[in-house]
Amino acid sequence: MNLIRLQRMPIATPRVAFAFRVASVLLALFTTAIALSISGRSPVALGAKVISSTFGSSFGLEDLALLFSPLVYCGLSVAVALRIGAWNIGAEGQFNFGAFCATGVALFVQGPTWVILPLMALAGMIGGALWILIPTLARAYADVSELITTLLMNFVAILLVYWVATGPWLDPSGMALATTSRLPVSVPTLWGIVHWGPLVAIFLAIALALFVTYTRWGYEVRIAGANPGAARYAGMPVKTQLIGIMLLSGAIAGLGGMMEVAGTVGRLQGGISNNYGYIGIMVAVLARAAPIGVLATAFFMAVLLNGGIVLQSQGLTTHTVLAVTGLILLYAAIGDEMAHYKILHTKAKDI
Amino acid sequence: MARQTASIQQRLGLAPGTPPILALKGVSKYFPGVIANEDVDIDVYPGEIHALLGENGAGKSTLMNIVTGIYKMDAGEVIIEGHARDFSSPTDAIEAGIGMVHQHFKLVRAFTVAENIHLGWPQTPKRISKRHLEARTHALAQNLGLAVKPEAIVANLSTGEQQRVEILRVLARDAKLLILDEPTAVLTPKEARELFTALRAFVARGNAVIFISHKLDEVMEVSNRVTVLRGGKKVATEWTDTCTENSLAQLMVGREIVLTETQKKTAPSIKTAPILNLSDISLTTDQGTVLNNISFDLAAGEILGIAGIAGNGQRELTYVMSGLSTPSSGILTLDGEDVTKAGARTMAQMGIGHIPEDRLHSGMAPTLSITDNAVLREYAQPPLTRKGWFSPKGAANLAREIAKVADVMVPDFNMPARNLSGGNQQRLVARREMRIAEKILIAAYPSRGLDVGAINTMMRYFIELRDQGVAVVLISEELEELMNFSDRIAVMFHGEIMGIIPTKDADVEQIGLMMGGTRQEDLT
Repeated sequence: MNLIRLQRMPIATPRVAFAFRVASVLLALFTTAIALSISGRSPVALGAKVISSTFGSSFGLEDLALLFSPLVYCGLSVAVALRIGAWNIGAEGQFNFGAFCATGVALFVQGPTWVILPLMALAGMIGGALWILIPTLARAYADVSELITTLLMNFVAILLVYWVATGPWLDPSGMALATTSRLPVSVPTLWGIVHWGPLVAIFLAIALALFVTYTRWGYEVRIAGANPGAARYAGMPVKTQLIGIMLLSGAIAGLGGMMEVAGTVGRLQGGISNNYGYIGIMVAVLARAAPIGVLATAFFMAVLLNGGIVLQSQGLTTHTVLAVTGLILLYAAIGDEMAHYKILHTKAKDI
Repeated sequence: MARQTASIQQRLGLAPGTPPILALKGVSKYFPGVIANEDVDIDVYPGEIHALLGENGAGKSTLMNIVTGIYKMDAGEVIIEGHARDFSSPTDAIEAGIGMVHQHFKLVRAFTVAENIHLGWPQTPKRISKRHLEARTHALAQNLGLAVKPEAIVANLSTGEQQRVEILRVLARDAKLLILDEPTAVLTPKEARELFTALRAFVARGNAVIFISHKLDEVMEVSNRVTVLRGGKKVATEWTDTCTENSLAQLMVGREIVLTETQKKTAPSIKTAPILNLSDISLTTDQGTVLNNISFDLAAGEILGIAGIAGNGQRELTYVMSGLSTPSSGILTLDGEDVTKAGARTMAQMGIGHIPEDRLHSGMAPTLSITDNAVLREYAQPPLTRKGWFSPKGAANLAREIAKVADVMVPDFNMPARNLSGGNQQRLVARREMRIAEKILIAAYPSRGLDVGAINTMMRYFIELRDQGVAVVLISEELEELMNFSDRIAVMFHGEIMGIIPTKDADVEQIGLMMGGTRQEDLT
């Protein structure tokens, strides 16, 4: 008789870890399918509907690309901060404030598009960086956990955007409720309604990946993130690095906000961030803070979110999708641990 | 063979034919590119304290990890009280009566002693009041002869007390074989004596202890028999009373030299102008004044030993000399240049290497790869970084080079550095620092966690550096080490230097007095 037993290994091999990731996603979808069929729906039909309406038409693919874009920006924002050991829970707020600053430029600065657009991008990035500035300084100089401060800043930014969009910056033409007027400039489109946002996001991810592996700064950030004590010992400017990386993190989320307002939506409105900042945390964690991994997980989350929109049209609530994402995170966490185990076949003798 | 077995049982006062509690037969374990253990046979009988001796990397830990079910052997048998067993998890081993106390305690610091004892124990009642939990713990402690305070929070206990809790937790689970991994490394001499008494009482009840150590005097003091491993293989099992420290050291290292060679003193070769000068250095932190008016010269080509009980300012002194701390007052000059505020990076670039005392907190990033850790000092210069671009390939090459001269076997350079044994981490850090130490090497407790052979090798390297004209600052608690290797010895007490004595005139007695706060000029 053979006994099958498990043994824990000190490190999980990448291939096994990846297999467990895939398995955890499939299992989450499977669990959802069971829940759906219990509630009297056909998971197969719903799944087919989601797939056909996402991948079956150029409209679906365009929507997918537009969902993918903010998720990459927010995912990269969180991932970059994680590299230096900081949890940026505030991508949501930085995204909103970046969108707000970019809108300000568009509404109040006149000039040719080729001047205004880069200016908006800059404003978005500076806005995002500003929105994380206080948590950053508090962390660097007073050792205040950025986890709480970045989170709290979100509510301020979200409410600020609601307020300007319904108050001072409300569309004066009266054509639209609760939003600013249509911005005079917009990010040029590449294909259908898809603008430069997703492409820039992909370039950004690649640039960050190269930065992490192939620059001296990337190495220093890795050391400082893993053990600030060792970084100080090697004479690295740990505080400066922490501040620089956290501001970069905010700037990336802010750029995402600018792309959203100037590319996808065209106006600043309340709730423009659509929880992208929070989902970005999940994107970054699932990607293990690897920039290229963020592209994959952001794509996957975009498919899920798009699926959620389709499901809504079938009379299900968005909570279904939130449940699926929650399940994936849960299973992925279990899978990450299980990937450390090796199955052993033992001959049962003498026992 | 039969005759020998009979004599073991006789000498331990056992009935003839008593089976060993633990018998290993031909145990082998291979890692990619590394033989961790090969063909190891060991018998451990009831009533004996069996020492397991070997250099860093000799395979002691791997072997014990096999016995306790953490690793799986590739060949051989583990026989517990006559039954062949093949553990696949530590739980199996605990059920079979094998308990291990690791070097780093596995206690929940925020819990009480009683809670820690009962945590994860099937015999803990499902519902139990705090009072009963403490009463049970008290009874257990009484039965097993280990005094603990059941209601105390673990974090508030001394290391020795924490170790007792750890041992009690293992013994409470009916362990018949207790394995201790370098248990005295964290204990004061008094605590160590108490531990030995407890161990003797434990084996007197028909149990056995495996005692891993590389302190020869302890092995001589506490063990009945001793097994020596070298390069993953068993070299010998001997009755301790037939051995001497010298004979054990020889078995362990496989060379005849060790102890005699460490005794050899080399006179300082070239005396040159002072390379580093400290003048009136003081440092005040939130702990108070930790360095007080320290002045001395460090000459190229000398080894300056710094003696003192840990916590008397040695760490802060190394921080000031390596640029990690800026002194509150005073001036530090390197080759005549004022470097008081230079900072750690500049000091390293100017040729100062620093082996820090707490390598896991400052010398390394344990979660990062061995490569990332090996290049910590040279990552910013060619060939690793050119114009800001970092070369992972160049880093891998440098890491291989350092591991090679450090004599550390690395199966995979992408593996987190925390997976290396403490001794190997220390060797890597030491080698990394020696590469950059063109002028000065500051070595804080470099022999911690190393065995006799490795300490000897490291000291030989220090002497080589010294002979090349590098100034070496050697901080140690082991007076013998300082007497053997340094040219001058400075003694620190409460952040001050009590005096600096040339080693040839030094007297252990005097240094002892100075460590206790007597100034050199007040010695009669």
